[in-house]
Amino acid sequence: MRRIFYILLSNPLSVIGLVLVGTVVFSAVFADFIAPFPSHRGAVVDFSNFNQPPHWPNIFGTDLVGRDVFSRILYAYRISLILGVVVLAIAVPIGVTVGLAAGYLGGWTEFCLMRLTDVFLSIPPLVLAMSVMGLLEPTLTNGMLAVTTMWWPWYARLVYNVTRSEAQEGYVLAAEIIGASRLHVMFREILPNCVPSIVTKMTLDLGFVILIASSLSFLGLGVQAPTPDLGSMVAEGGNYLPDSWWLTVFPSLAILIAVFGFNLLGDAFRQVLGSDQ
Amino acid sequence: MSPVVRLLVKRLSISVIVLIGVSMLIFTIARVIPGDPARIALGPNATTEQVEKLRDKLHLDEPIYIQYGYFVRDFAKGDLGVSLYTNRPVTTDIAQFLPATLELVIVAGMFMIGLGIPLGIMSARFRGKAADNIIRVISLLGVSAPSFVWAVILMLLFAFFLPLFPIAGQISDTLPVPQRITGFLLVDSLLDGNFRAFFSALHHIILPAFALALSGIGQAARLTRSNMVETYDKPYIEMAQSFGFPARRIANRYAFRPSLIPSLTIIGLDFAAMLGNAFLVEAVYAWPGLSRYGVQVILRKDLNAIVGTVLVISATFLIVNIIVDLLIAYINPRIRLAERGGS
Amino acid sequence: MSEFLLDIRDLKLGFKSYAGLIEVLHGISLNIRRGEKVALVGESGSGKSVTARIILGLLQEFSTARISGSVSFEGDDLETQPLSVRQGLRGTKISMIFQDPTSSLNPVYTIGVQFQEVLRRGDVQISAKQAEARAIALLEDVSIPEPERVLASYPFQLSGGMNQRVMIAMALANEPSLLIADEPGTALDVTVQAQTLHLMRDLVERKGTSVLFISHNLGVVREFADRVYVIYKGRLVEHGRTSELFHSPRHPYTKALMAAVPRITGGGIPDIAEATDAYLDPMIDHEAEATS
Repeated sequence: MRRIFYILLSNPLSVIGLVLVGTVVFSAVFADFIAPFPSHRGAVVDFSNFNQPPHWPNIFGTDLVGRDVFSRILYAYRISLILGVVVLAIAVPIGVTVGLAAGYLGGWTEFCLMRLTDVFLSIPPLVLAMSVMGLLEPTLTNGMLAVTTMWWPWYARLVYNVTRSEAQEGYVLAAEIIGASRLHVMFREILPNCVPSIVTKMTLDLGFVILIASSLSFLGLGVQAPTPDLGSMVAEGGNYLPDSWWLTVFPSLAILIAVFGFNLLGDAFRQVLGSDQ
Repeated sequence: MSPVVRLLVKRLSISVIVLIGVSMLIFTIARVIPGDPARIALGPNATTEQVEKLRDKLHLDEPIYIQYGYFVRDFAKGDLGVSLYTNRPVTTDIAQFLPATLELVIVAGMFMIGLGIPLGIMSARFRGKAADNIIRVISLLGVSAPSFVWAVILMLLFAFFLPLFPIAGQISDTLPVPQRITGFLLVDSLLDGNFRAFFSALHHIILPAFALALSGIGQAARLTRSNMVETYDKPYIEMAQSFGFPARRIANRYAFRPSLIPSLTIIGLDFAAMLGNAFLVEAVYAWPGLSRYGVQVILRKDLNAIVGTVLVISATFLIVNIIVDLLIAYINPRIRLAERGGS
Repeated sequence: MSEFLLDIRDLKLGFKSYAGLIEVLHGISLNIRRGEKVALVGESGSGKSVTARIILGLLQEFSTARISGSVSFEGDDLETQPLSVRQGLRGTKISMIFQDPTSSLNPVYTIGVQFQEVLRRGDVQISAKQAEARAIALLEDVSIPEPERVLASYPFQLSGGMNQRVMIAMALANEPSLLIADEPGTALDVTVQAQTLHLMRDLVERKGTSVLFISHNLGVVREFADRVYVIYKGRLVEHGRTSELFHSPRHPYTKALMAAVPRITGGGIPDIAEATDAYLDPMIDHEAEATS
C-alpha cells in the first residue's frame, strides 16, 4: 500500500489526476455549500441578469434565463457522477459474470454468451445508447439503462480474456482436484486475479461514462430541462456562438477536466498495478 | 484456397451471423417500447381509424416474431420499409445521407492514422524524455473530451476567433453542387473536373473531420506508444541496436511493425466508433449526413428508419473490422503463412 | 597502438532508483588481444551481460545508468567519444550474438531483409542483388543448406539451430574485429549448441576475429576460450589462461563453481551451494603473476 502511494505521488501527472478527481467529486458532493446560487439548479428565471458574460458574482456568466452557469456546472457534476457510479455498479457485475461463465465453462455457454457480446459490441457504442434512449422516455433512470446496455459487453470481453488464460493456471487445477464447485472456482479463485484489470478499467471508465452521457444529452437524448446537464448546456449554448461563448466554453471545459482527471488516475493505476505483477 | 481468402470467408460468415443478431436486437428494442409508434407518427389529430390502418400496415398487432419474419422477407428484397418521418423508403433516405457521413469519417480516419500513429512512434522512441511526456499529455487530452466538445472549441478558435475555416455546411453556398455520382462530394467534384468545388468541399471538411478525429488521434498515439514500448524490450530490438541500425530506422521499422499488429484491432474499433461520434460533430457543423436523420428518426420513434440506420451503421462497422483483419493478416506473416506449412 | 584490441579499465556501473544507487559493477578490468578468444564466466546477475552492453554503448542510453572507468577499442577510449562514433562501430567493427537466436530475429521481416540491412552497415552502397549474393555465400560458410530458401523465410519458420547459424553469419558478415557472444545458444538443446559453437570457433579462427565469450557454462568455456575471467557479484575474482585456471583454480568462488559443474550435465546454470564471504576475496590473476 505504501509503495503504491509512493509511486502515485512521485509522478506529477498522477498527482494532477488525483487533484482533478478530488475537486470534481468534492464539488459534486458539496454543491449545496459551494454553489453561489443553489436554487439555480432548477427552473429559476431572472431576466434582470440574463445572458451576462462572466462577472462577479456569476464567475462563469449567466445563461439565457439568468441562471448562474457556475452553480449549474456543480450540480451537473453531481448528476454525471451519480450516473457514472450507478452505470458501473450495474454493468460491471453483469459483464464480469458473463465473462467468467463464458471463459471458464466453455462449450455452448461460451459460444452463446460471446456471440451475444459480439452483437452488442458491433453496434457503435453511442448509436446503441442513442437507440435505447430515444425509444424510452428521457429520464435519468433511462439514461442509466441506455448507457448500461452498451457498457457491460466491454467487461465481459475483458474478464473473458483474463479468465481464459487464468483457467490454465495450476491453482485452478488444484482447486478443481480438491473438488471445489464451479462457482467457487469462478468467483473465489479466478475473479480475484481479474480484479486489478477491472479496477483499472473502472477508473478510466468513470470518465468515459460521463463522456458518453454528456454526448447523449448533447443530442437531446438525456436528462431534460431544467435539470442541469453538461451536454445539454453545451448544445443550448452552441446556438449562441460566438457572442455568448461562456455558455459553451465553461461546460465544455468542465467535461474535459473531469474526464481528463479520471484518465490520469486510471493511467496511474494501470502503471502501479501493472508493475505489481 | 489461400489462407487470406479462407480468413475472409470465415470473417464474412461470422459477420453475417452477428448482423442477424444485431437486427434481432434492435428490432426487439424498437418493438418493446412503450407508446404507439403509429399514433406518434400520425400525430394527435389522426383518427383512430387512420391509426388502426397504419398499425395494420406495419403488422404491429402481430406477435413480434411474425413481425420480424415480415422484416426479414422485405429485407431480402432490399426493402427496409418506409420512414414514417420522411414518407420515403428508408433505403432512399440512407443512400442520400450516408455518403456525407462516410466521407467525414474517412477523412477523420486519415487524420487519426496519419497523425496518431507517427505521434505514438515518436513518443515510444523518446520514451521517458520531454517529447514523450508532451505527446502523452496531448493524446490524453484528446481522448478526454467527447467530439462535440472539440467540435465547439475548434469552431470557436478556428472559425470565429481566427476565421480560417467555414462555420458550417459541406460546400460553399455560392458554388453549384457538383453532379451527384457517388454521393461523396470530394470524389464527385473531382470526377466533374470541378476543382473549385473540390477545394471548397475540402476546406469545409477539415475542421469537422479534425474534431471527429481528435480522440482517435489520442487513442492511436497512446496505443502505438504502449505496444511499441513493450516491443522495445524484445531481444530483436537489442539485436538491431547491437548492429548499429539507426535509432530512427529501428523505431519506424523494427519496433513499429511488430507492435502494429496488436494496435490495429483497436484502431479499427476506434475508426468504427467514429461512425457513432459523427452524430455529435455533424450536429455542431450542420453537416448533411446520416446524423440529423438518425437523431430525428430516433426522437420520432420512426421504427423502420431506426432499424435501418442502426443496421447500416453496424454493417459498415463490421466491414471496417474485416478490412482490419485482412490488414493484420497481411502484416503478420504468421497468419499469412499459417496454413501453407501443412499443404 | 596498444597491444590490446579491447582494454577495459576499472569499469563501474550503477543504476539510480528510488532506493538509491544500486551498484552492479565494482570496477572491473579486462583485455582482449587481436585474434584472442576470452571468456567472462559467472552466474546470472553477476554483471557479465551488462559489461557486453557497455562495450557496445547500449547501456549509456539509459538515463538511470551511471558509468565510470574506461573502455578502449583499437587504442581509442570510447568513453570520451560521442555516441555516434560508438554507434558507427556497432555491426561493423564490433558485433554481437545473443542467447536466444529465434527471438533475436525480427518476427515480421524475412531473414533476407534483415541480412540486407546488416550488410548495408558495412557497405551503404550495396545493391539488393549484391546483398543477396553475399548473404548466400555467408550462409554457405555456416553450412546452411538451401540458403536461398532460408533467406526467403521468417525466423519462426526455421529451427533454433538454423536461426543460430543465421545469427553467426550476420554477426561475422562485415568482418568485425571483435565478436561478443552473450551466452550463445543457451536456449538451444545441448547437441545443437555444441555444433554451432564448433562452427563459430572455426569461423573466428579462420578470420582472426577476437571474441568475448560470455557464459555460465564452464564446460563450453573450457573448450572455446584461450583465457578466462571469472566474475562474481560485479567483481572479477580470478583470471588466467584456460588450462591454468582449470587445472589449478585458487579463488574460493572459482573452486565452488567448478565443483558445481559435474552435477549439471551440459547446460543449465551452475547451482552453487552457499555464498560465503570467501567469495569476496581479492582477485587472483595468474597472468599478472607470470609476468611479474
